[in-house]
Formats: sequence, structure tokens, C-alpha cells
Amino acid sequence: MGGQRPAVGIGFRAAIADWTRENLDHFDALEITVDHCLAGSRSLRAAIFDLVGRIPLTAHGVGLSLGTDAPLDLAYLDEVAEVVERLRAPAYSEHLAFTRVPGRETAALMPLPKTEAVAESIIAKVRTVQLRVPFPFLLENITYVFEWPDSKMSDAEFLNLICRETGAGLLLDVENVYLNATNHGFDPHAFIDALRPGLVKEVHMAGGVTIRDESLAKPLLADSHSHPVPDAALDLLEYTLARHTPSVIILERDDRLEAGDEILDDIARIRARVAAARSRNTYGEALVGAAG
Amino acid sequence: MAKPLLERQVSLIEHMTSAAAIFGGAGGSAPDLEGIDRALLRVEARFSYAKRMEKITAVLPKTFELLGGSRDAHVRAFVESCPPTTLSRLENACQFHRYLVSCWTRQAPDPPYIGDVAALEIAWAKVDADPEHHSSDRATRADRAPGSGVRRCPHVILLRCAYDIRPIFEAPLPTLPRMRGRVGEGAAPVKRDAPLVVALPPDADGPQVFEVAPALFDLLAALDDWTDPQGLDVDPAFAKLIADLVGRGLVEVRR
Repeated sequence: MGGQRPAVGIGFRAAIADWTRENLDHFDALEITVDHCLAGSRSLRAAIFDLVGRIPLTAHGVGLSLGTDAPLDLAYLDEVAEVVERLRAPAYSEHLAFTRVPGRETAALMPLPKTEAVAESIIAKVRTVQLRVPFPFLLENITYVFEWPDSKMSDAEFLNLICRETGAGLLLDVENVYLNATNHGFDPHAFIDALRPGLVKEVHMAGGVTIRDESLAKPLLADSHSHPVPDAALDLLEYTLARHTPSVIILERDDRLEAGDEILDDIARIRARVAAARSRNTYGEALVGAAG
Repeated sequence: MAKPLLERQVSLIEHMTSAAAIFGGAGGSAPDLEGIDRALLRVEARFSYAKRMEKITAVLPKTFELLGGSRDAHVRAFVESCPPTTLSRLENACQFHRYLVSCWTRQAPDPPYIGDVAALEIAWAKVDADPEHHSSDRATRADRAPGSGVRRCPHVILLRCAYDIRPIFEAPLPTLPRMRGRVGEGAAPVKRDAPLVVALPPDADGPQVFEVAPALFDLLAALDDWTDPQGLDVDPAFAKLIADLVGRGLVEVRR
């Protein structure tokens, strides 16, 4: 992303394509879901590719299922490579998760057992992705409602290991860190601190809902991409920006898309946190400079 | 010793896409998932199910309205018999459509015109989704083929409806795809032969639906593959008809 860093934008959604075009000047960049370019309607594809050259685009995937313990779909990756090139996107990102097994697919992003053996398998697959899609590859941390009982590593350890061995960057979903930390009781700041410097290349923000169900031991925060970004997630974003330098921050919104004012307000709130972090960083650097 | 990861992943997704996990009740036990909180899995399963049904409803909005009181029973039976095999919106909708069609072979559709409505919604989505349906692609394909001929454009869909379902949709054909009206706002569909063609005319924003004369419908049905256009150059009326069909994106000509 050129210009002011980090760029701030939204994920492009078909349902608000017209609204997005009308409000393009509010955004520095848009994130395109590559799968919409591969399997979306003709009108959706036309709307997406019409944006090339008008605003910087990033490429994000949902259909790879990197974590399925089976060979990758190489034909799919070849199609992704063509789309990323056509979008002129600087990188291609996917989730560190699985969504399918042979013959069955779920729309949910499922976690992997965080073990060294699984990490080794993912490392091999990421290398395949990098060979097949000749653009920088970013992994995204997911939100998860359950843990595999044989997980041995922390989220940060698992991500650091895979990214260190492959050179992949991280698309840090700050909302997911906030949700996971709340749902599973760990310190989100410790997670951010544990990420290797330079690892975070892009950021996702979103707002979800709280699920209260009598079958649940406690309320569960869900990543529904349906509501304004909570202040706690914005606090965590500001904390992240004090330590990492992503090139773009994307607001994800998939539901209640008619609430355009909420989306623009979220963008303004994110920009305010970017400015606050920049001001603090500059102040910090000035202090360090004065001390030196 | 832990089972291979793929085996555990299969167990997990089979459980997550099961009616037991989504709707509750008996069944859905999965010994490979020991140590995982089933209540949390149920939440995830319901989220995943909701996303799938959103996709299907987006393609078949009028069909879902028409299902009325039987909708929940159909959806549950569908979930039980047709697990999701892809993330694709269109594929999931086609899967639901196939399920409905199989139901209607055993039990008469209610209302009787719902089959026509569902078929039209699916056809419209298929034409809209076709990734190769660009005028430049069509020209390239036609240029590559040897010899001369005329054929129906490959992505045109023909529907022989038993009802005039225009009242189901707010606007008259061919602007029907807007489909914003609610069922019941117009007059009830009348039973009559309604030959429909769903196509993407050149320079159109999206697919359009034409009602055509039965003879023209039969002609389009016959032009399944390249056909020697006897009389195309000698019969001005036929040549004019073909030119009109080309203009509407219904046939393509190779000279």
C-alpha cells in the first residue's frame, strides 16, 4: 500500500458495492475476497475488477482450507495467483484453519491442534502456496470456540514457528485476538508482545456479538462481523500499532451492512487510534532521541 | 495414540454439519471428539448452518417465501440428507433445489407453481454466475470453431414453465431479476404454458428473462450445438430473426 501507512479500508462486499463506490474517498484501500472473483456472480466480478487502478486492493482468501490434513488444491491456487495478479494486490492472505474434509465443507473456520507435527505439515503447505502464488503470503489468526485437547503450543508460538520457517507474514486479526483472549482467558497483550517484530503485515478489525446460551458455561463472544468494533478491540489495535507496523488495516463487515454510518464511524475510530499510536510512537522516538 | 488428524477432522466436520449438532436432539456422537466441549461445537455448528442457509436463501428468496409453513420441515430434512460439500452460494442453492425437486416427485408441490419459481431463480443465478460469459469470450469461442453455423448461446437456459409466474415478481419480464416484490402482492399465477428464456444480452448489466413464442422456444431448444443455418442467407425473414436473437444474446452465428 502506498501513501500514508497504515492504509485504512474495508472488505469489499457485493451487497454494498454501490455504497462502497460512492464512499470510496473514505478508504485508502479495499480488501477483495479472491473467492468472489473465482465463483462470484458476473456482476460481482465486474464490480471488483472495475476497482483495479482506482484504489489499492489487497487479496484475501477463504477457500484454501490450508489446515485440512490432505493435499492442497493446486488448481485452485493457480486460479488464485491469476486473480491476485489481476488485482495488482501486494500480497495474498489466508486463514490458519481448515474448513473442509474430502466431500464435506463447513462455512466455519476450524482451529488446528497446535503441535509441532501439525506445524510441520502446515509449513510444507505454506511453501507450496508460496511456490504456486508468487506474491508475499500472509497467514491470518482465526477466532475459535474450542481447542483441540492435544494442543501443546500457544497461539503466538504456533504462528511464530510457521511464519519463521516459511517467511510468511501475519495478517493479524485484532478482533480475533480480543475474542479468543476473552473466551479462553489469556492476556491479549502478551499475545501481541510475543509476535516477532516485523511479522504483522496487515490487520483485520471487526465487531461481533455476545452469545448467551444456557448450555454454555459463560457468555461467548462471537466473530459475527455485524456490529461496531468494540472499544476494547480498538485499545488492542492501538497497543499493536505501538509494536508493529502493518501496511493496511481492514474493517470486516458481513452483516447489518445497511448501517453504512456505523461502518464509516468505525473507519473514523480506527483512524483516530492510528493517529494516537503514531503520535505516541513519535513522542516515544523523540524521547529516545533526546535521551541519546 | 491419537488418530490421524484427517480422521479427526472428518469426525469434527461430520458432527458440525449434522442435524443433531445444529438442531439438538439425539445422535451426533463422535468418539474422536473427546475432550471438546459439545456446547461450544453446537454454537459453531449453528453459525455455519446459518451462513449456508443465508447463501441458499439469497439465491431462492421467492421459493423460500412460497414454502411458507413447510419451510422449517424442508430445511431440517435438507440438512439431514444433504450435507454441505462446498462453500459456493450457487452450489448450495442448487443442492437445495435438487432436494426440493426430489420431494416434489413424491409429493405434489404446494403451491403448484413453486417448482417454476424455484427453477427460474436457479436459472437466473446460474446465468449470472457463469465466469466465462463475456462477450469477448463468446466471440473467441465462435471464431475458433470450424465451418459456419448457428447455435444457442451456451449459457442460455430454457425453462418451460407450467404457470405464468410473472405476478410472483414485482416487475414484468424481462426486468424480472430485480425480484424485490413480496409473494402475494400481485395476482396469483395462472396455469398456462410459459416458455421462458434466461439469457445475458450483450451489454446488459445482468441476466434477463424473456417469454418467447412456443415455436421459438422449440427452435432454441433444437439449436443445442452448431447447426448448418440452411436458409440463413436466402430467407430474409429467417435472417432477421437470427439477427434479433443474436442481439438478445440468445444465439450465436459463425459464418
